[in-house]
Amino acid sequence: MKKLSLFTICLIILVGSWVFLRFVVGGIISVPIPGSVIAMYMGLIIIAILVHISVEDSLFREFRRPILETLVEDKRRPHRRVLVVLIPLLLLGYTYSIIAQRANPPGSPRDAHPSPPLELTYKNEVIGTMQDVVNPFRHYEKDDPEAFKAHVENGRRVYHQNCFYCHGDDLDGQGHFAPYLQPLPANFQDPGIIPNFQESFFFWRIAKGGPGLPAAGTPWDSAMPIWEDTLTKDEIWDVILFLSDYTGYQFRTFGEAH
Amino acid sequence: MKSYLLASLAVLLACCFVGTAFAADSGSAETEMLVFPEAYKAMKVSNGGTISGVVKFEGDVPEKKALEITKDEKVCGADEKFDESLVVGEGNALKNTIVYLIDISAGKDFDKKAKPEIDQKGCKFTPHVQIVPVGARLTMLNSDKIMHNVHIFGNNPVNKPQPKTRRKMPLKAVKEAEGPVEVKCDIHGWMSAWIAYVPHPYFAVTNEKGEFTLEDVPAGEYKLGYWHEACGTNSKAPAAVTVEAGGTVTQDFTLKLK
Amino acid sequence: MRIRTVALLLTLFGILVVFNFVHAQNAPEASEKGKEVYENSCAHCHGTEGRGDGSAAENLLPKPRDFTRGLYKIRSTGTGELPTDQDLFDIITEGMPGSSMPGWETALSANDRWEVVAYIKTFYDGFKEAEAPPKQINLSGKVPYSEQSVETGKALYTELGCVECHGNIGRGDGTSAPDLTDEWGFQSWPANLTQGWNFRGGSDTEAIFKRFIGGLAGSAMPAFEGDTFPGFGLTAEESNRMLELDNKDEMTAAEEEESGQLYEKYDAAVDIALNLAEGTELSAEEKQIYDDAMKVVYEKSWHLANYVKSLMPEKRPEPAIGNNVLRSQYLQGALPAIDDAAWETFEARYFPLVGQVVIEPRQFNPTLDGVHVKSFYNDTEVAFLFIWDDRTHTTDETDEETGKTVEDALAVQFPVKIPQGPTAPKPYFLGGGRLPVYLWHWKASAPDQVTELTAKGINNAEVQEAQGELQAQGTYTNGQYKLWVKRALKTDDKKDLQLEPGVFVPIAFSAWDGANGDVDTKRVMTSWYTFVLEPVPSSKRFIYPPLIALLSVGFLFGLRAFVLRKNSEEA
Repeated sequence: MKKLSLFTICLIILVGSWVFLRFVVGGIISVPIPGSVIAMYMGLIIIAILVHISVEDSLFREFRRPILETLVEDKRRPHRRVLVVLIPLLLLGYTYSIIAQRANPPGSPRDAHPSPPLELTYKNEVIGTMQDVVNPFRHYEKDDPEAFKAHVENGRRVYHQNCFYCHGDDLDGQGHFAPYLQPLPANFQDPGIIPNFQESFFFWRIAKGGPGLPAAGTPWDSAMPIWEDTLTKDEIWDVILFLSDYTGYQFRTFGEAH
Repeated sequence: MKSYLLASLAVLLACCFVGTAFAADSGSAETEMLVFPEAYKAMKVSNGGTISGVVKFEGDVPEKKALEITKDEKVCGADEKFDESLVVGEGNALKNTIVYLIDISAGKDFDKKAKPEIDQKGCKFTPHVQIVPVGARLTMLNSDKIMHNVHIFGNNPVNKPQPKTRRKMPLKAVKEAEGPVEVKCDIHGWMSAWIAYVPHPYFAVTNEKGEFTLEDVPAGEYKLGYWHEACGTNSKAPAAVTVEAGGTVTQDFTLKLK
Repeated sequence: MRIRTVALLLTLFGILVVFNFVHAQNAPEASEKGKEVYENSCAHCHGTEGRGDGSAAENLLPKPRDFTRGLYKIRSTGTGELPTDQDLFDIITEGMPGSSMPGWETALSANDRWEVVAYIKTFYDGFKEAEAPPKQINLSGKVPYSEQSVETGKALYTELGCVECHGNIGRGDGTSAPDLTDEWGFQSWPANLTQGWNFRGGSDTEAIFKRFIGGLAGSAMPAFEGDTFPGFGLTAEESNRMLELDNKDEMTAAEEEESGQLYEKYDAAVDIALNLAEGTELSAEEKQIYDDAMKVVYEKSWHLANYVKSLMPEKRPEPAIGNNVLRSQYLQGALPAIDDAAWETFEARYFPLVGQVVIEPRQFNPTLDGVHVKSFYNDTEVAFLFIWDDRTHTTDETDEETGKTVEDALAVQFPVKIPQGPTAPKPYFLGGGRLPVYLWHWKASAPDQVTELTAKGINNAEVQEAQGELQAQGTYTNGQYKLWVKRALKTDDKKDLQLEPGVFVPIAFSAWDGANGDVDTKRVMTSWYTFVLEPVPSSKRFIYPPLIALLSVGFLFGLRAFVLRKNSEEA
């Protein structure tokens, strides 16, 4: 077998890395990688190749040999003819596609979990500071399992009369209204949701809904209602109990744990 | 302590709720449906007696409610149609009341020649109340040259279209006594009739004059029941009649709106 | 050797089939596990006792199934039959599109789903009492899809009376549609056959065939099997002849006799079918008559299924998001009128509607699926065509429940000012109070008029003082509304949105179906989407690319010349 020229090796590395990033990492292993990230990696690889071939004169000569051959030598005439047509055509197509591309609407860099206010309120009544407020029924879990169960059951009822349209029967954010809402309703089965928040945060999000989000939450498209208009304080706390009871996730707590 | 109080209160409330629900349930079953004997034996009856009488309506006769004909006006709207849930004739005679023996266990067999039919004519079911022996086929007639859809409710639901060309449509025989159940036409929503699938032949439907007759009743003591769409039943307190061999008993009823 | 391999493979295949069959047909005995899963995942809709009366049921339509009656809509079995275990398992796994029943494939393990199947069967004694497994609908005679089959099916669609409920071209707008109720007395809307994605049991041809033959038990949809077909027991030619004779105003004596004979044959076959249904054993001759008759019925049904399939697109259209945004096409000269063929030259963008469940009164059970929109603009004006299906044409009727006057309507919503930059505060149209929105409000009672409003929140809309900047025209045919609206790009009214090519504009819709009780905030709506007057593509696209290609050719030749010279110098 003929030994591959340095140029060919470099070319194989370049194409191979692109395929690897685009299809293997971005398809088989994980979700697709954004084009800009791929471009960045490719840039790094090109720099590495350039550094490698410019370390020694001999390497550089070895690298450029096939290019020069293709440009001038008679035996390479067929290659030359193909390239002199192919390269301008590719450039033509590429520039056309860039110029004729349709503009797309601007994206919305939305903060899904903006910081809450310092004080937790229900309607206009102050309940306490966000940091300190705890679910008033949570202690039943240890003190009075029967009462706790009753609260969870009430939470289940509240959930299925109000929330499951969007957040789903399985609390997975896939209710029958969900596919056509943007952003998608929260998925409480996601391990990154319940364990990362205090119950008071959930109370705040339920009570104030989309309209109550701060500017960073770009509230214009959240369909989350202002539930303090419809639900009582206790109903909101009960539904929060149900969320953790059904999914098996524990809300984040301060104090007791430490 | 408070939770115990709450819990006992909840239990009390639950009991009341279940109680009333149960009462309402059993009550409605008794007032709405016919009562059938557990078993019935057909035999030859000679020198039986006759029960006859007149059913009258008591109270202010509501104004006849004209039905709104919303489609196929040519066929359905040729004459004015009225709601038939309460048809009161001269002398307050009440039509379409089923009068029957509740507790007969042996008696004559069905008249095998009689073929129960309901006609759909001018987008109206005739008769409005029909008795169908268990095991017999009810034949739906279509005298209108338009499509109807026979929709019978209850435990033996029928939902069967009868195209304009189908003049006669026999229906599968029902094997269990039931009723009365409502018959509707899905295409002409105002059409309504009632069917009773009965296990013995001692059932009569009152005519325009409110009259009914039950013939060939073996001598004995019986409970005589009635059912009327708008006036309900007397299943809780049926009339007691004593039939003598070859004799005639008269039993009239006066019904009020339920 | 080869034969042995084939035999081995066949045996393996056979074992698999048998295993699958056994597995498919038998749910386990009802157990505590099934009860536990049911109570945790199903009872909130279907009720702890399976009566379809869970706490969520009140606000749902279609209602959750009442399991105590043994009536199941989606079956692979014939009319009057119970579903197979596999049918129940499949519904639990896949859910019922167009209703609130979700698929449980990811939420429950297959084992749990089988346990639930076993458990829900305990709610109806008929499952236990059944002596034989339910009879499944035979799918073997499938007629492949062809234009001719569709044509035959189309004729049957009218003949069998499908139009009465499903409407002339299947949009569920038949004259009887508003009056239908199910076995429990709840409203039962006929399917819009052009929206296969909302079919509860799926929309492939086999599924349609099964629904048609087996009916949707408990709903208003009857089963079309056997003697429901006019001319049951006759060949296709004979039944055509029978209908032909029926449609004659007067028949000759010979024709009378012919018709009489056909009817006799028809009645005899019906009698056989009823005997079979009632459990009477058929003679060989009767069985032959029945089988032949059913063959005709099944073939006709496949034609009908093919016709229904032809009415719908292959899948639900993609919502108008991402690169799919609503782009108004540039036109030179006058903009097309409502019925102009120019509208047919490109596809509409689709905006799916969901119930408004935020502010009382809420709409939990939408009947409208989505709005399809197209748009053209020229140098001075923009025209829109809004298209949406609605089973009923309601103008000024009184809702029985609320006593309010209801009617069909559509509102199109834009911000008054276009938000600049992605983090700028956006208008909010529910709850209100932030930035105002600019609305076009159209009502079915005044189809050629659109009112302009400014709103701060859903209950806080004001009719603008300056009206008349909009031209509108609305029509309703065969269950579909079309609304055409035209406006100048720029207006003098400061409360109006001013439009400019290339600028992305937020757009949202609300719609009201009067027959579904929609009024005020009880309505269906969309999220915010994006609309743009698509700029005319730059003419640069014809200049720069060729220029660059030419330059690159020049560069290549230059490079070669340079290398040649260098080489000769070195030499």
